[in-house]
Order: sequence, then C-alpha cells, then structure tokens
Amino acid sequence: MRSVMMKIACLALLLACTSPLPALAAVGCDLNDPARDVPRLFPESTSYKTVYFSIAQRGGAPFQRKIENRLGNAYIALYAPIDVPYTLYEIYRDKKKVGYIHGVNQKGQFGGIQVFVAQDLTGRIKTFYIQKITGKSAGRFRDAAFARKFVGLSIRDFDSYDPVSGKGTGRIAEIANPAPDMVTDYYGVLRGLKKNLVLMDEFVFSMERGKP
Amino acid sequence: MITPFQVACKNLLRKKVRTLLTLVGIMLSTWVLVSLFGFNRGYEKALNRDIENMGYQLMVMAKGCPYEAATMMLQGGTGLRYMEQSMVNDIMEEAEVDKITPILMQAFFDPNKGESGGIAGYFGVDPDSYPAMKPFFRFRSGGWFRDNSAAEVVMGYEAAELEQREVGDMTLVPEKNVQLKVVGILERTGTQDDGTIFVPLKTLQRIAEIDKITTIGIKVKKDADITKLENKLYQLKDVQVVSFSQVKQTIMKLISTARVMVLSIAIVAILIAMAGVVNTVLMSVLERMPEIGILKTMGAMPGDIFRLVWTETLILCGIGGVAGIGFALLFARGTDLLVRRILPYAPSGGLVVIDGGLALLTLGSIVAAGLLSGLYPAWKAGRVRPLESIRRDG
Repeated sequence: MRSVMMKIACLALLLACTSPLPALAAVGCDLNDPARDVPRLFPESTSYKTVYFSIAQRGGAPFQRKIENRLGNAYIALYAPIDVPYTLYEIYRDKKKVGYIHGVNQKGQFGGIQVFVAQDLTGRIKTFYIQKITGKSAGRFRDAAFARKFVGLSIRDFDSYDPVSGKGTGRIAEIANPAPDMVTDYYGVLRGLKKNLVLMDEFVFSMERGKP
Repeated sequence: MITPFQVACKNLLRKKVRTLLTLVGIMLSTWVLVSLFGFNRGYEKALNRDIENMGYQLMVMAKGCPYEAATMMLQGGTGLRYMEQSMVNDIMEEAEVDKITPILMQAFFDPNKGESGGIAGYFGVDPDSYPAMKPFFRFRSGGWFRDNSAAEVVMGYEAAELEQREVGDMTLVPEKNVQLKVVGILERTGTQDDGTIFVPLKTLQRIAEIDKITTIGIKVKKDADITKLENKLYQLKDVQVVSFSQVKQTIMKLISTARVMVLSIAIVAILIAMAGVVNTVLMSVLERMPEIGILKTMGAMPGDIFRLVWTETLILCGIGGVAGIGFALLFARGTDLLVRRILPYAPSGGLVVIDGGLALLTLGSIVAAGLLSGLYPAWKAGRVRPLESIRRDG
C-alpha cells in the first residue's frame, strides 16, 4: 500500500514539475506558425517535436556566465532573464531525428530581430531565416540571397570573428551588409546568429558530444 | 486497548485493492467538485478584475466596431470606422459622466513580420485624460508622453520585450516609416495592455492622416445610473455603446452552459463514488456477518456496530476527500490551462481559485455524501442477529 502511494505521489510531482510555464513567463522566440514554417525551413522533415529549455534549468548563473563569455558580451540580450524559455524544434524524418530549428531575439535599431536557423545534426546551418526585423530596408535582410550566405556555416566560423565589434576574418567577415542604412541591424543579425549557435552548442550539441 | 477507529482501519485494510479503488473514486469526484467550485469563484473574480482594469465602464464606438479587431487583422486597418472627435464634448456634458477619454486604434501592415507580413497595432491615447483611467499603471522605466503631439511611444511590458526596446530607443511605424522615441515602459499588468503600444492621440492622427477617433472610453460617476446613460448615448447618431456590465453578463451566460455541464459531470461522479462507498462497505459487512454476530454476543449494542461501520465510511471519505483536494491544488495550474483552451474567452489571472474555505466546504460535502451512503450498510450491520449469523457461517 505504501509503495503504491509513493508511486502516485512521485507521478503527481513529476507532472506538476513538467507542466507548462505560467502565463507571466518571459517571452521566448517561437516560430509564428510551426506547422507551416517547419516544412519550409526543413523541407525533408515529416514531423517535429517542441522542446523548451532555460539557462536556469541547465546550470543557472555559472552556466549563464559561461555562455556570456563565449558571446563576448555581459548581456545575452535584453529581456532575457535566466529563466527565459528557449524553444527548440527537433526535426524528424519519419522516426529519425534529422536536425533542429531554433530562434533567438536580438535588439535592432527600431525593434526586435528574430533570427532562426535550421541545423543538421552536426550543427551546420541548412537554412537561415529572419522572422522579424524593422527598418526601411529590412526586406533586404530577409532576401533569399542574403540567407544563402549563411548555409553551411557552424559555430567554428565565429572563432575568428567578433560580432560585437564587427572585426575579424573568415567566412562571416566576408558576408557584406545588404542594407548599408541599417548597420546596427546588420551587426544585430550577426550577434543574434552567434547567440543562436552558442546556445545550440551549449544546450544541444555539447550534450550530444558527451553521450557515450 | 484497541479503539473502534483502529478496528475500522484494520477492516478496510483487509481488502486493500477494493479500498484503494473506492478511495480513487472518491478522490476523483472531490477533485472535480473542488476544481469546479474554484472555477466558479475564480472565473468571475478574474473577469471582474479584467473589466475593472479596462478603467472605464462604457465604450462608445462607431457602428460596426465590435468587428474591429477582425477588420484590423484582415484589412490592415483600412476598414475601420471612425467618429468625430467633437462627440467627446457632447458626451462629457452628460451628468452621469465622471471621466472621458478619446482613443484612436490604428493598424499598419509590416511586410517584415512573419513569412508573409503582419499587422502592427497602435493605440492613440490622450495623455491628459487616459492615464486617469488607468491609475493602476506602473512604469518599469520612464513615464507618459510630454504632450499630445510628441513623437513618442509608451510600450506595454510584453510589447517592449518583443521589440527589445528600452527607454530612449527608437521605434519605426511600418508603412509610414515614422520614427518614435520610447519614453516609457509599463510594468506587467496581466491584461491586454501588456502587448499594447501607446502613442499620443494627435501624433497617431498625424501619422494615419486622419482627424477622427475610433472609440470613447467613459468612466461613470459613483452611484450614477449606467443604464440611463446608456440609453442617452444610444440616441447619438451612428454609434453603438458597449457596456462592460453587459459584456460581463453575456460572457457569464456563455460560461454558465459550460458550468452546468461540468456540474452535471461532478454530480454523476459523486453518485458513482457514493455507489462505490455503499458497495465497499456493504460487501465488507456481508463478509463479516459472523464476526459482527460474535461482537453482539459479547455485548456490543446495535449502535456500537452502526458506529463502527460508519467510521469505516468516514475514513474512506475523509482520506479520499483530502487526497482529491490535494490533487486539485497540485494540478490547479494544469486545470487552469485546460480550461483556458476550452473556453471561448478566458480573462487574465487565475481561473481556478481554491482557498481553505472552499477546500473545507468540499471536504464537508464529500464526507456528508459519504456518510449518507454509509447509512444503509451501517444500519444493516446493526440489525444482524447474532445466532443467525454465526449459524450461517457454520
């Protein structure tokens, strides 16, 4: 009898801990319409699973400092407290996982920028997508030709490039600003991309590398 | 010396699975009942809070405006209906009116939002009259606009979060490419204001190239006759009046259907649980007839046997009831989310509010229902004839 009651209590606690976040949680970065956006960003996908994670869940303040050090910036972004829920879309082809889609918010000159990337299981970018950006020439950042320049990049491409100062070498440095009147947003996009890749590396790929 | 309570506990533990299943039945019905009571209380409270947070009790709109939100979404604001601003002065003259504020809602198409563009909504408000309607607004940083034609915005907390804005940053009105400076960011209110971008009325009128308004918010004097004022406002040409007390009544009517359905389910669940209690205790009594007979030969009175069996019922209902209330409290957030998904309109804040009083009331109802169910088995046990029952066993 006691063991049955213990099992019931454990199950109840588990359900309580995994139930969705309260309505007043911080705003994360989600695809506007995942059912439509996932097949567009990952054409070979047949299904997806949504996973939420936060820095608070995965290691708290020390983990946040580690991420900030990798980003080279004291603040990951505005309005990104330690418990902000990051949304990860795990992409499946039939039952096999084939990649991920993840987005982040970043500050732009006139509004928030939402930078999404679709990555394969090795962390290489398959598709680059700016869901939201504000400015007179914002459309140029959402142009397919600009997005194609990021295909094949990975976190290693940021090793010799500092998106905070905009200085460095490598493939990232070769990507020209498509809208010269929106320099702040150009660096914002690159900062957002690096933040996205660093978060994915810390939350997903480093954990997978650690698996036996 | 062993007490009647200990005897009752031991009797229940003889058939563990049967007792557990009965407990589960009672627990589930208690869960449903207390959640329903909590919803009854919480929903109305949340709705009242939402209406109070609107700041005004009446809204005057150009005819057709209840469809405004849909119009804004579908046509990017081109289908909005407008009123003359002079109407504000006409309404202000009514004796029942305490405060009044003109509002202009505008939507602009942003091609760089989502895959195929989206709508950016703005709320043009008068900095002299609107803040008085929302005395509960607190600024996270900054404050209201300098004047009614300043190129400035005040953002709700979530709007600022989405746009990654701080006080001093610039924003850009899509379509019109007009730059506005962020001068204030509000604290969270838990209402639709969190996602709103407020612009001085005249600024928004200038940007939209229109000198009219879409809405007038009216705060009625304390103890004034709202219905009388509504009737007067209906006499105005080409406008319609939305009273939040009417809105509340309509919503409560809609919700009452759902409440009746859930209450019916709860009643059925309680009846099933009661039948379970009768079955469990009666089976237990029938199985223990010889024992009860021996107890009687040893001097136990019918009242003693009745109390013993009733104690079993009390234990079952007490434990089941407490467990049900515990689960209801534990999963109140989950129930809240579920209810939100089902209902056509869910106000902000907690929809399921369970407090100590409500928990005790539910526990009392469940125990009372349980004791009622235990009457027959306890009565039957009390009437057992000692020799007959012992002989039957032999």
